[in-house]
Amino acid sequence: MSDSEEHHFESKADAGASKTYPQQAGTVRKNGFIVIKNRPCKVVEVSTSKTGKHGHAKCHFVAIDIFNGKKLEDIVPSSHNCDIPHVNRTEYQLIDISEDGFVSLLTSDGNTKDDLRLPTDETLVAQIKEGFESGKDLVVTVQSAMGEEQICALKDVGPK
Amino acid sequence: MTATSAFESSPEMERFLCERLLNTEQPIAERFRALFSLRNLRGDAPRRALLQGLDFGVSVRYILVSTKERAARDPSNLLAHEAAFALGQMQDAEAIPALVAVLKDLSLHPIVRHEAAEALGAIGLEKSIPVLEESLTTDPAVEVQETCELALGRIEENKKVNGAESTTTSPFLSVDPALPSKHGLSVDQLRGLLLNEQESMYQRYAALFALRNDGGDAAVSAIVAALSVKSALLRHEVAYVLGQLQNKAASDALSTVLKDVCEHPMVRHEAAEALGSIADQESIALLEEFAKDPEPIVSQSCEVALSMLEYERSGKSFEFLFLQTPHVQS
Repeated sequence: MSDSEEHHFESKADAGASKTYPQQAGTVRKNGFIVIKNRPCKVVEVSTSKTGKHGHAKCHFVAIDIFNGKKLEDIVPSSHNCDIPHVNRTEYQLIDISEDGFVSLLTSDGNTKDDLRLPTDETLVAQIKEGFESGKDLVVTVQSAMGEEQICALKDVGPK
Repeated sequence: MTATSAFESSPEMERFLCERLLNTEQPIAERFRALFSLRNLRGDAPRRALLQGLDFGVSVRYILVSTKERAARDPSNLLAHEAAFALGQMQDAEAIPALVAVLKDLSLHPIVRHEAAEALGAIGLEKSIPVLEESLTTDPAVEVQETCELALGRIEENKKVNGAESTTTSPFLSVDPALPSKHGLSVDQLRGLLLNEQESMYQRYAALFALRNDGGDAAVSAIVAALSVKSALLRHEVAYVLGQLQNKAASDALSTVLKDVCEHPMVRHEAAEALGSIADQESIALLEEFAKDPEPIVSQSCEVALSMLEYERSGKSFEFLFLQTPHVQS
């Protein structure tokens, strides 16, 4: 069984693909993405300060790690480039949940993807398990960035 | 002209900044950090603190004059000058009466009066015209006269531009003493304007800011060449602009200015702070040497510059950061 070309993102195994691209700090907005301390993050707040006497703008970012929810901050000169993570979202149908916390997902080309754990978000995990146990058809959204991936959302497509 | 967006801060932070600015026992660099943090705020409390910084400098000066004491270090001129600068950058019309009083007070150091006049130009209201016209003819210091000329020119040009978009907004977020020369002039033409001793001060300033906005190597060379012009006022603005550009090609020329004990203190002051902003490693020894200069405006500027340099090199903000704790929403 080989992965389709559509799905190059695998846990920890992604190599060689470009993970980030540069963007001027002054153009990164709230709800955008940014890399802070080598973590892919979503920006929840950005303020620009006119530093000192010569007015060099610096951007102060407050952001949330998109995988573990931790808050990170960074200050970048407005005219400098910072790293922006490539963030992709893919939808899969949920087939099974194993007892050790992995999920089986049906890919769009009919194969299964079995290398993903349940996400760290406890509320989301509860929703997934409840939906699965009640026999509903579930579609999960998997978010991937910088070689990591995690289920980030659940769609209930109705009873069988 | 629309002011750039202002931050919010908590009342506790404002009190902290006000106390730090006015606390004479704090190092001058820390008081500067507070001053430029207040500059980014709006409202009554920041204005009052900066006005106190201005008045505090003034009142200390009075005491020294009346007792005929010679202070080895007088912190008031530099801080008062920067407080006036910040009030102009904030474009706070409520500060006009205090700035007018400072401009008229001939017992104050010319560097403070100059900055009050520049601030009146930055605020840009027509009601400042009479006092600027008066000081243009009566102030004994050439640099103050020239500043009044510039401020009047800015207020006048602002009226013409008033309907148009603020496409002249400074990329360095500064409120400049003159609007940049119109588009279409080449770097050579702008250089010619800037260095032309027969040209009006306003046009030369306009050329300077157009070259700054260009920012290329040829533009920087032209700006560096202007460190030799006749007007101390223009030389000081040239040094300031080189601080904005942070181009290391200017470090040698600025170092030469700082070392020149015959140069006007306001120019040496700006050269020191520009070196702090450029943050060349090689500037540290020089700034440390002249932090002991007998001219207080120069020595204190070097202390501030060393602080700016340290923050610049570590990539941190020179100002205090005072954001509210963000509510996390994923």
